[in-house]
Amino acid sequence: MELNANAFGRNARKALLDKALQVALGRTTERFLAHRDAAVAAFPEFEATRERASRIKLDVLDHLDTYLLRFIEEAEKRGAIVHVARDAAQAREIATRIARDEGVTLAVKSKSMASEEISFNEALQGAGVTVVESDLGEFIIQLAGEAPSHIIAPAVHKSRQEISGLFERHLGGPRTDSIPELVGMARRHLRAKFLSAGMGVSGGNFLVADTGSVVLVTNEGNGRLGTVLPRTHLAVVGIEKVIPRMSDLPTFLRLLPRSATGQAISSYVSIVTGTRRAGDPEGPERMHILLLDCGRSAILEGKYREILKCVRCAACLNVCPVYQSVGGHAYGWVYSGPIGAVLTPLLVGLAEAVALPDASTLCGACADVCPVKIPLPDFLLELRSDVREQGLKTPGEIAAMKGYAGVMRRAGLLEAIERIAGVLGQFFTKGKGIGGLPYPFSGWTERRDFPAPAALPFRKQWKIRRGVTR
Amino acid sequence: MNERESLFRRLSAACGGHHGAAAGGPLPGEAPIAPEGDRVALFAKTFTAADGLLLRGPVESALSDLGEVLRAEGVTALFFPEDDAAAREIAEALVPFGPFHLTTGAEVRGGSAAVTAGFRTAEAAIAETGTIVETSGSGKTLLPGLIADVHVSIVPAASVVARMEEALSAFTADPPRNISFLSGPSRTGDIEQTLTVGAHGPKKAIALLLP
Repeated sequence: MELNANAFGRNARKALLDKALQVALGRTTERFLAHRDAAVAAFPEFEATRERASRIKLDVLDHLDTYLLRFIEEAEKRGAIVHVARDAAQAREIATRIARDEGVTLAVKSKSMASEEISFNEALQGAGVTVVESDLGEFIIQLAGEAPSHIIAPAVHKSRQEISGLFERHLGGPRTDSIPELVGMARRHLRAKFLSAGMGVSGGNFLVADTGSVVLVTNEGNGRLGTVLPRTHLAVVGIEKVIPRMSDLPTFLRLLPRSATGQAISSYVSIVTGTRRAGDPEGPERMHILLLDCGRSAILEGKYREILKCVRCAACLNVCPVYQSVGGHAYGWVYSGPIGAVLTPLLVGLAEAVALPDASTLCGACADVCPVKIPLPDFLLELRSDVREQGLKTPGEIAAMKGYAGVMRRAGLLEAIERIAGVLGQFFTKGKGIGGLPYPFSGWTERRDFPAPAALPFRKQWKIRRGVTR
Repeated sequence: MNERESLFRRLSAACGGHHGAAAGGPLPGEAPIAPEGDRVALFAKTFTAADGLLLRGPVESALSDLGEVLRAEGVTALFFPEDDAAAREIAEALVPFGPFHLTTGAEVRGGSAAVTAGFRTAEAAIAETGTIVETSGSGKTLLPGLIADVHVSIVPAASVVARMEEALSAFTADPPRNISFLSGPSRTGDIEQTLTVGAHGPKKAIALLLP
């Protein structure tokens, strides 16, 4: 997917002015949040399960080499062919080679964020393979030629009228405002694809090391159709998705759906292992697993390694006041919300996404809901200081922060400035607040008003209340 | 050095500081084990909560209800795995209850225009989540729960387990190609966040619970 993360400010402004998007975002995030909260409240073991999941994931990160090797060995023992890609270009090359060698002309794909990282569809289409997205939301935005705006609800920004228009143009369906009819049109269209495609492409929510299994969680059942019907199955998965044992899977299955959609479990969980066995009436004859590094081993080495615990539930998106306001496209790459604001700079390089660590209020809501306890606000703050250390801040910002730090270290100076500001502020604004400041402070006041500085500084008021002074 | 070796060299370097055996240590978060007598009752509750329709056996008394539900869904063709005696028995007994005819999974896969119901005996059912477990083990077909418009699972009470761990414990050594957890109908909320059934899989999930 094309990278546009440094245009966050411009993208966000555009999103804030898009009325339809604002309605859709409000509806989606509110509903997801309400469902999630209800599901968590109805599951008293949630906290303990979360702690357990976090510990399992930390153990995985500590021994990723061991577990991943085990996964590869077990998967290959059962007939899968495992490929490893260092970066997106290599992954594209491997994926197109697989499609060519398997003689595939039509591939039907279920949701995979990892495949978005490597621009999978574009690569295969460039090699003459038609790739059809089968997740309804992904299918809709594929027809529209857009990118997903939410991890688990990629088409939140589209209205039923827009979708009906797309189906009329691309599927020849009649115009309708009925959502069940629209779903039925997509079902019939895509069922034919499932039955004729040479290859089913999936992501993977989990990789089970001790059995070599790929686990897919869906509500629509597309992951299931695509891994049973076509002759070849290709799973595109990040190396960090491995969990040690099959017996660890229930822990994650208790967290992921509750955190994502507020369900006790998603409609379909498919645990697929190797190729079809002798005597099986269906299932793929060939299974390829494409494991993506694409920056992950470098993250594992550093201070942000815990970001690799992420299970892509999107709870942090729904709860984030910034995401709620600007939606997924503003983040300019595959991942949005707090996870995107941390993961994108780490995967594509901080200089390419320098705006994202600031796309947060540091309110901490994301850490409160994360089912695997990733310290997202700490990481956002740490990334901001990396921005400074790597010399990616403007000289003006650096000078301003230095000045700020200098004042905050000297109580007397701060007090003097507060008093002067109080007097001047009251004089110029007549107590009404500051609506605009000259450059270089105009950036701050462009989109928000400041209250006028108090006539009596806080610390002075505090002292008076305690009777220390008057 | 090939790409795999080079990946593992990078990973080993990154994991280098962490010695000691993988995993180990007790973990919190064991879900409580439901008393055996309550498993079936809990399954009935959770399966219904997952928007499944639960019918209780014995077969003879459930047939007319089942027939009525299938007629209401517009079902005309019934199919089942060749080697699934319980599913065959029920599908055959249902024929007089509606304008139903028997067909095969292969025919449905080939592109049947009829509205179909697929019958299959569940290998297990999970009380915790209201889940039907189906696998491709021993050459069993997955088509009834995969491509039918309505999925009818036959669930012997003895096959209901309390938790996911128990359902998976049989597969820790050498799992079949496909283990599927099916919990309610296929659904999507991708259009305006409006929950709609029958996205790709069955529009209706029915469990026939047999004593």
